[in-house]
Amino acid sequence: MSGEPKPEHLIEAVLLVSSGPISPPDLSSATGLTKSALEGAIEILTQRYTPETSGIVLRNVAGGYQLATNPNCSGAVERFREEARPTPLSNAAHEVLACAFYLGPLTRGAISRVRGVNSDAVVRNLLERALLAEIGTDHEAPGSPALLGVTDEFLAATGSSSPDDFPPLGSLVSPEELSRVHERLSSAATPPEDTGETP
Amino acid sequence: MTFEPQGRSLSDFTVELDVYSGPYEWLLALILKDELEIFEIPLRELVDSYVGAREADPTRGGLERDTDFAGSASALVLLKSRTLSPAIDAEAEGDEDEALSPQELAERLTEYLKIRRAAEHLRESLAANAGHYPSAHTMPPRPGRLQVKPERVSLAARRAFSRLIEPPVRHLGPITVTLQELAGMIRTALARGPISYEILTRDMDRLNRAVAFAAALSLAQEGRLTLAQVEPLGPLTLEPTA
Repeated sequence: MSGEPKPEHLIEAVLLVSSGPISPPDLSSATGLTKSALEGAIEILTQRYTPETSGIVLRNVAGGYQLATNPNCSGAVERFREEARPTPLSNAAHEVLACAFYLGPLTRGAISRVRGVNSDAVVRNLLERALLAEIGTDHEAPGSPALLGVTDEFLAATGSSSPDDFPPLGSLVSPEELSRVHERLSSAATPPEDTGETP
Repeated sequence: MTFEPQGRSLSDFTVELDVYSGPYEWLLALILKDELEIFEIPLRELVDSYVGAREADPTRGGLERDTDFAGSASALVLLKSRTLSPAIDAEAEGDEDEALSPQELAERLTEYLKIRRAAEHLRESLAANAGHYPSAHTMPPRPGRLQVKPERVSLAARRAFSRLIEPPVRHLGPITVTLQELAGMIRTALARGPISYEILTRDMDRLNRAVAFAAALSLAQEGRLTLAQVEPLGPLTLEPTA
């Protein structure tokens, strides 16, 4: 093989040796490609690596590009690596992630308050899975607890390129549903009429 | 809290949950050993699973078996409720003890409802994107850094082991005066005006001269004297500060 490698070959090679997503500026820096050449190469690779045409797919996640295996081939990969797919997350874990993503960064205590139950064990599990991370400290709260936020691994796991890919929190519940909640609470709070009878 | 087998009437009962699949008795053991979070166990599904299995095969039922299951399941309910209950830090919450107004309660419920919906959305996203395995390639150390020349190892060993030898101290005399005593002596000498370091230390041995110099430096740092030296390595004069 001789001659200058094509832009898509350069991008392909760099993506192959990276286990995490690589941002466009980092790809440009590594390959020396201009922005337009990079975009052209990404376009070619996007068409080359699709679930229909390859065992490898090009993902645009967590603000970068990543080569990953086609999910349709995951069974073979798991058998080869002799490891099971991670256990699906529980409902509690999804709620904690939703709190951290939409309301975060926030403390363990704040997550527990939103959910109404202690969430420490669930948070621990998510930290171990690298979907959550301690990204700061709440200096104003007693004891300066850690502030939790979602990670790039979370974005990659949800197939999202950026936080903007998620629907706004307010759009997830319809106004009708909210008004039903308010009505139900109002009726529950209204004391029963005094019938005048002695109990 | 313990779960006694009581004849192991539940030994053939297996469960299929998202977080665990296998014998029910092992599930109990894993929970009690904290290897499985009680939060993760959907108790309702567990009960449904038992009832379903019982209805599918009534011959495997029996009062003893039902009693054992009811006992262990209620213990799990108790364990889960106790684990979940200390949810709110009373101090952090301040007036949490006060009953929430309907408006506040509605706001809380609304927020939680939104989080529930977001959690459902996340579940779908995570499920749709499961099974992507990125490159397992990790950068190895650069080969150049793995090359170790024997002569360099030998040189490094000589240097390291030579440091273990105690340096000779025979040329040093006994320490007969402390830093504080020398500082006091310098202050007394300075009361009469500037004094040369050589004159101050002319009757001292090398060690005491070094300690006197350290004492002078210490006093200079405290602002009690000034060290004057016209030229490098020239005569050193100790001058009292104004």
